[in-house]
Amino acid sequence: MKGYEILYNALKENKINFVSGNPGTTEIPMLRSIDNYYLTLHDSIALGMADGYSQYNSEASMVNLHTMPGIGNSMAFLFTAKMNRSPVIVTAGQQDTRHLVYDPLLSGDTLSMVSGYVKYKYEIRNPEDIPVALKRAREIALTPPMGPVFLSFPMDVMDYSGEYYKNQYSDPNYDTVDENAIKNICERINSAKNPAIVFGYEIDLYNAFTEAEEFAKKLGVKVYSEPLASRSTYSTNNDNYMGDLLPASTLMNLNFIENDLIIFIGGDIVFYPYLPSKPFIGKDVIFIGTDLSHRTGESYYINPKIFLEKAKNLINKKGNFHKSRDLTFPNKIAREKLTVGVDYVLYNAKKIFNDYTVVDEAISATESVRAIFGYSHKKYFTAKSGQLGWGMAASLGIAVKNDKTLVIIGDGSFMYTVQSLWTAKRYNLPVKFLVLNNGGYNILRSFADSYYPEMGNRDYLTLNLDIESISKGFHIDTMVASNDLSELKWLKDGNEPKVLIVNTDKKIEKMFL
Amino acid sequence: MKTLVILPAFLPVEDIKKTVNQIMPGIEIRTDMDFEKDDAEVVVITTFTQFGKNEIDKFPNLKFLQVSSTGYNNVDVKYLKSRNIILSNIPRANKDAVAEHVLAMVLAFLKNLIFFDKEIRSGNWPILTDSTELNGKIFGIIGMGAIGIKLVQRLIPFGPGIIYYDVKRLPAEDEELYGLIYMELDDVIRSSDILSIHLPLTEGTLNLFDDKHFSMMKDNAIFINTSRGEIMDENALVKAIKTKNIFAGIDVYSKEPPDFSSELFKLDNVIFSPHIAGVTIESQQRFLQETIGNLIKYTQGLEPLYQIKGEHQ
Repeated sequence: MKGYEILYNALKENKINFVSGNPGTTEIPMLRSIDNYYLTLHDSIALGMADGYSQYNSEASMVNLHTMPGIGNSMAFLFTAKMNRSPVIVTAGQQDTRHLVYDPLLSGDTLSMVSGYVKYKYEIRNPEDIPVALKRAREIALTPPMGPVFLSFPMDVMDYSGEYYKNQYSDPNYDTVDENAIKNICERINSAKNPAIVFGYEIDLYNAFTEAEEFAKKLGVKVYSEPLASRSTYSTNNDNYMGDLLPASTLMNLNFIENDLIIFIGGDIVFYPYLPSKPFIGKDVIFIGTDLSHRTGESYYINPKIFLEKAKNLINKKGNFHKSRDLTFPNKIAREKLTVGVDYVLYNAKKIFNDYTVVDEAISATESVRAIFGYSHKKYFTAKSGQLGWGMAASLGIAVKNDKTLVIIGDGSFMYTVQSLWTAKRYNLPVKFLVLNNGGYNILRSFADSYYPEMGNRDYLTLNLDIESISKGFHIDTMVASNDLSELKWLKDGNEPKVLIVNTDKKIEKMFL
Repeated sequence: MKTLVILPAFLPVEDIKKTVNQIMPGIEIRTDMDFEKDDAEVVVITTFTQFGKNEIDKFPNLKFLQVSSTGYNNVDVKYLKSRNIILSNIPRANKDAVAEHVLAMVLAFLKNLIFFDKEIRSGNWPILTDSTELNGKIFGIIGMGAIGIKLVQRLIPFGPGIIYYDVKRLPAEDEELYGLIYMELDDVIRSSDILSIHLPLTEGTLNLFDDKHFSMMKDNAIFINTSRGEIMDENALVKAIKTKNIFAGIDVYSKEPPDFSSELFKLDNVIFSPHIAGVTIESQQRFLQETIGNLIKYTQGLEPLYQIKGEHQ
């Protein structure tokens, strides 16, 4: 059996059903048996698409990049896949090994290139390596904390012959539990005076929303989300929920002034911008989950869903906290109607797209997107890395098996991977793009206003994009919304991709201290 | 058909006469009722003219009484009805003025204006303040009629949360348009940092604000009444001001003018105005326009607007 045939069989054996890519000549040999392939018009979009597919479907996917240049084009997306804990098997062709010594065109040390961003990397030397390497790659990618892996396929090896040795298919064991640790943690919770809980993305990963709510209800204390979570963390409508922590140590500490114990479950901390406080000084801090950074506190490698299920029977009530209703929000919406404020737009979009999965890349509006659309299972995704361009690409992968996908994106972000529209149209992926056009890089302008006010009005922070024409250039149905936002209904109607541009208030919100 | 207009003497009667002569010549205007009988079929009065049985009996031919104000407490409605006399008021002309008056009182409290004014007049220069902002406060409105809506329209840019109670809830689209949250009466009272009353006086609202309801208010909250004095129990208000540090903006009183020896007038936390919230130059012009409009309708054989069908207001 030829190398390319072995690759095809190994993919089937490992149940890897999704392949996206932007191939070059070096990849043609490895693709000869693969015909179910989503083409994107830039390598990076293919990686973002695979990332979205993997996260949404909780399975490994394959992305096919064009050796050194293609990997180089995709590095930001590889970094994001790592931060998103996304089990993407990144593959790339490599020059014919018989003349690698001459540094032929497109050749390079691809393994070093991806080093630091993948959990496993290997260059195939023999066709019989392929099933073993693919099995290892997939299972390592899927082992928590999940993340991307890399395989390199030299052109000539795909034409070499070898035996195909079938491997035993298996998934990693996710049901990791430590009964003694659970007892110890619960004793610490019971002896604490005033604990607080922080839930993270693993609540969505393991679909532990019910368990998280029951645990929080039993404890009766305040619940927060980890800062800048890549996906849903907790049921937003729950009475204990206080919202997302901000990614700054001082602001985080302010939330916990009255708490003696902080319990992170399935999540972690992240900081930006720098503030001088160290996190959680004088507090007892416990991290529970399968993605532990060991930056602070004590960490326990336990599946959060199992922990919550067992711990709820071992903990005592610590309070009777119920958040008060936000009585100011309706007035804010009424007020923002006059200027087409972002909250007004999102509030109305939520009414139309209530049951949609949101892909969020509206950087300066993300706090509102999270708060207004809320979190629930597989309903919210964003790039944990902070990169731009991921949202449109990832939405394509999510929409492969989800016909209710809404991208909420800023005008600046929209232009990073605008070629995603071509793939959406080509494969009729039912993605709805809601573009919040505020005419500039408002996150930068807000940062400048807080720290370097003389820079806030620099011309290179403002954009005047004709997004409507650009979108129509890809033959995508496109409209610009009127102030009453009646076009939101149009955006939802039909199963074809559409773009709706809303020219929002250009006011710069204060987002930094 | 004779029409008689009775105006309070403090108004610029000669100017009004000149204006009315240009529009409806022949109308008699006076400032007193010092006569035995008058054959007028139409009488126009303001809220400042008492119009009880004795006054009504001076007009044996009276068919239509136009009160050129929103309130008509000064009229013996029951007796008027027994004589089948049409009664109209002008319910809309002062809405903007009342809404602005409420805001003025609220902002005066929040921004500590009375204190600053007193201090500076006393030669002091205060450098500290406990002023607060309307933005983010919870503003409760009891009674979401025309004045309530006018008030909401003015409140929106200030940024408070606005909650309300009314016997008749607004349609959902109006609640969304104005950013309102509907709650039961007790919940509005409990949740509000500022509470403004815009209810008609009925048997159901008489002394509605009693000890029980005042005790539900948040400590240090602001209570504004520009509707009717009888809706609140003044003794209960005094108690709430003293025990809960309630701040009160009072435009209306159960007896007007009120008994100035009442303890209410000895308290610092209160801003008073003399049932004048709806009175502005602009609102008086609107009253005049609406009044003239109604007179023209009646004299042409059309039904006057704003007829009072019941006995309460």
